[in-house]
Amino acid sequence: MVARVQAGDVDAFETIYKQHAARIYSLASRMAGSTGEGEDLAQEIFLQAYRKMGSFKGDASVGTWLYRLAVNHCLDFVRSRRAKMDRMTETLDGEGAFEPVSRRETTAAKIDLERAIAQLPEGCREAFVLHDVEGFDHKEVASLLGIAEGTSKSQVFKARMKLRALLARRA
Amino acid sequence: MVMHPDELVINDYVDGALPPGERDIVERHVAGCGECRQLVDDLRDIRRQTAALRPMEPPSRVWTGIERSLRQKKGPYPFFGGAAPYWLAVAAMLVIATAAGTRFITSSRQAPGVAGTSAAPADSADMAKSVEDDLLQAEQHYQRAINGLEQIANADKGALDPHTAATLQKNLSVIDSAISESRAALKAQPTSEPAQASLLDSFRTKIGLLEDTVALINEMRKGNDAGAAQIVSGLKQKS
Repeated sequence: MVARVQAGDVDAFETIYKQHAARIYSLASRMAGSTGEGEDLAQEIFLQAYRKMGSFKGDASVGTWLYRLAVNHCLDFVRSRRAKMDRMTETLDGEGAFEPVSRRETTAAKIDLERAIAQLPEGCREAFVLHDVEGFDHKEVASLLGIAEGTSKSQVFKARMKLRALLARRA
Repeated sequence: MVMHPDELVINDYVDGALPPGERDIVERHVAGCGECRQLVDDLRDIRRQTAALRPMEPPSRVWTGIERSLRQKKGPYPFFGGAAPYWLAVAAMLVIATAAGTRFITSSRQAPGVAGTSAAPADSADMAKSVEDDLLQAEQHYQRAINGLEQIANADKGALDPHTAATLQKNLSVIDSAISESRAALKAQPTSEPAQASLLDSFRTKIGLLEDTVALINEMRKGNDAGAAQIVSGLKQKS
């Protein structure tokens, strides 16, 4: 399959896309805090993967290689976005904050959790997604985000406490 | 007065990351302290719910956009046995416009000192003006993309069955209402970041739906019933 993609076979690439799209899209959406940005990121990641497929040596599985590419791309996005910020965005936690209108998400606790994760402040959301959702340990999260291990722990804790408050408000 | 363990220690306890001696102390405290027990239960519940999160399937337009980009680079569009039709080329250009608009969102959403900051008044006014300008530019980008996609979708609407066309129309009406609501919120709070993000998100949702419409027309023209059914199924889930 990889050889076919390396030869420019788009149909073969679609097969790889179908196998891994959900995982990559979920990672991107949760890291970015928005499904819209998740869509853009997923497209960018797969286009980048297609371009880089020629350099894929097969040391790891395609899925592992793609996932690593996706994590790095999401982190670049998050870092670049954070570089534009001079403060944490926590306005959604304020009293009487405007409730964003979303017509795509409708029911169920899982959607509530997804929405709550999307509302987490920059910084603690990435640490939380990488640790609690993606299963990296604090040492790995610290290395990926360029922070201390203790900071990773406190960011994940901060995220959990915010989720606790957000979910309790909706209960 | 009861001395509660530090909350970070409780967090480590929930993660099973405490050494045995410390874990036993916390365990004994939690057994007799309703407040800490509640915190432990809540944190465990969040961990349980998070572990149960399933991967989300991306909308069909994600692959459509990727495929379009890849096929364009490869030359003639194979589905049509020759060059891509005019409307498909326009749609591809509009995707680029959409991406550009998305970047406006990011920059305007993250503009420092927009809402609720302690920046100096003059700086705040400048920043608010700058953000409003960015927002206006982004709106114009999206509106151009929407106009173009509507033109394409309307020109080929005959390719859709009436039920699907009605579903699309219904969804578009819902999104238009969301746009109106967001505009009203923004009018009341012009510098509100969430209101700005919500308006732009509504635009993006509308563009997404119109892109789905174009993708659906594309699949129907290709005679790909399975592809068309997948897109229609996605549309129904959103309705």
